Amino acid sequence: MKRSRLSLILALLALTGAVRAADPVPLRVELPKPLFAGTPRPIQLPNLEKPRTGKRPDLMVPAGTALLSKGKPVTSSDSLPVIGELTFITDGDKSGTDGTYVELGPTPQWVQIDLGAAAKIAAVAIWHFHSQARVYHDVVVQVSNDKDFKAGVTTIFNNDEDNSSKLGKGTDLAYIENFEGKLLDGKGATGRYVRLSSNGNTSDELNHYCEVEVYGAPAK
Amino acid sequence: MPSPVSRWLPLALVALVALWLRTHDLASRPMHADEANQALKTGELLEHGRYAFDPHDHHGPTLYYATLPIAWLRGETTLAALSETTVRLVPALAGTLGVILLFLLARSLGHWPALTAAALMAVAPASVYYSRYFIQETLLVSCTLATFVCAQRWWQTGLTRWAVAAGICIGLMQATKASAPLFLVAALIAVLLTVRSRPVTRRPRRDLIAALITALAVAALFYSSFGTHFSGLRDAIGTYTAVSTRAATGSGHEKPWWYYLGFFGWHREGGLLWQQLAFSTLAFCGVLVAFATPQKILRCAALYTALIVAALSLAPYKTPWHTVHLVPGFAFLAAAALAALPLRLFAFATAGLVVALQYKQTQLAAFLRPVDARNPYAYVHSSPDVLKIRALAETALARAPTGPIRIISEEYWPIPWYLRALPPTSVGYWSTPSTSSDGALIIASTTQAVTLRPLLLGRYTESYLGLRPGFLLVIFTPKPAAP
Repeated sequence: MKRSRLSLILALLALTGAVRAADPVPLRVELPKPLFAGTPRPIQLPNLEKPRTGKRPDLMVPAGTALLSKGKPVTSSDSLPVIGELTFITDGDKSGTDGTYVELGPTPQWVQIDLGAAAKIAAVAIWHFHSQARVYHDVVVQVSNDKDFKAGVTTIFNNDEDNSSKLGKGTDLAYIENFEGKLLDGKGATGRYVRLSSNGNTSDELNHYCEVEVYGAPAK
Repeated sequence: MPSPVSRWLPLALVALVALWLRTHDLASRPMHADEANQALKTGELLEHGRYAFDPHDHHGPTLYYATLPIAWLRGETTLAALSETTVRLVPALAGTLGVILLFLLARSLGHWPALTAAALMAVAPASVYYSRYFIQETLLVSCTLATFVCAQRWWQTGLTRWAVAAGICIGLMQATKASAPLFLVAALIAVLLTVRSRPVTRRPRRDLIAALITALAVAALFYSSFGTHFSGLRDAIGTYTAVSTRAATGSGHEKPWWYYLGFFGWHREGGLLWQQLAFSTLAFCGVLVAFATPQKILRCAALYTALIVAALSLAPYKTPWHTVHLVPGFAFLAAAALAALPLRLFAFATAGLVVALQYKQTQLAAFLRPVDARNPYAYVHSSPDVLKIRALAETALARAPTGPIRIISEEYWPIPWYLRALPPTSVGYWSTPSTSSDGALIIASTTQAVTLRPLLLGRYTESYLGLRPGFLLVIFTPKPAAP
């Protein structure tokens, strides 16, 4: 009897040990180390995402929508750009070559278009800089009747996911610049002023604009 | 006779300006891929005492070994603790020393022309930019100038110790970069063709043999990792196969023959003006002075500079940091041109104007636009976005301590430098994605991201960062689990 009890205890101990041995443990997988390489070569072809097949989907706007921003005055947080003029933003030239874009300094910067009168915004098209594959950080587009954007502000686009520009956290997606520009739905926001901000880009800390087009109709 | 203070104070001021331009705010520019690569190798040497010369993609060992005393003095003993400032202090101090060495070399032109030459090198955009850059070029320039100064002293005094000192400097040149013989051969040709006198020593052969033995011993010491890696000696010779192939084919760095001269011309790019016309015009006038007057050292400097320009320009392989080799010669010749002006006041005013113009370019290149793609000195430079990667990785590991953080890209340098302090078991590098590519954070090139997306099992938000101009990275951050 004593022997059988002892056998039972030993069997239980062995079983417990076996269970412990089978407890899951974190798998340690050795990860590949970086490979040393020579000086990177200048990129001959831009490292672009696979281009979208077919044409850009149409943005449906109300009949009678017109380009409102052409030739309209532009102001900016950087009032004296080192390169280019603020007037380039609404001059109709979106070619993107040297001498057609304005360069604003580092840190978050904005440009603001005065449409002259309140308008119902149907769409905004933006060309920051499209002669190289790059993404502008924290792009925010807002509409307001207040030139200081302190009251009555409607945000129509915001991809500042961590609110680093302090204009609110956005959920829109970042995008790679290309010749088509970024076409945004104005969502019928009403205002006299359209303000666009950005916070540097994937190539440098600067902010650029070739052209901005604001489409809509006078607000009734 | 001016007092020693009034004689040496201007040189001290030039050296101080050179030092400030080379050391001010050293850590602010993101690490270039080459800097990061070499800084990691330095970290390995610092932390584990391990170094083995790599004859394929790396230059000589002096840069890494020279970093050690600075790191120790700054209390940095591990790769994680090693900082951008520490590694960049090596070329910064070498660059400052180079300015003083050029003064010593140019003293035969006279005291103030030598000072002018030093001042022109102190503010030259290429010299300043690459003295703030953790690569071998500035170290090589300074070792070359030190060789010339020692050789000049030996020639003039006949003392064997100057020959031995020149040998040490030649050994350091060779241990810095395999291109060292180019500068020695150019100098030898220039001396043979322009200098007719003989050195004052009666036993030049003995001194030359002493210099040669010293040079070989010093180079061997470094390439063998101080006697711990003797195959480094074989690799130091074998590296010339890779070097000659690279120089002959260009290896993706092909440029037109006038590329280096273009740095000293005038061009606009994207609204930014890059020019050194006043400096190069003065240097060209110096060439005319060299052949219009009987100054042998000036002819020697002109011929040496012309040979270096020709050799670098004829090779298809060109990178902008080689322009630093042209600066001492140009500064020497420019100072000689100013010294030849009959009106001393006019010469001083011209020197001041050219130094001011050069400083403006340096300010633009090294301080205002150091990573701008339009800056000709910022060659395939990392984007400022790379500075955000460490914080992203740390946040990811705080969320999921076991990681892994996956870098999946054809090119990823300088990311390993920014992730050097993370546990190596939590970061991995791949060139293409595999079937199990999920992670606490995934950083993929846009090309690899296309292949990666269908392979991911988890749900991620995507955002973009730049590795360098035109090369984008997609950042995959896991979405928080639904409550």
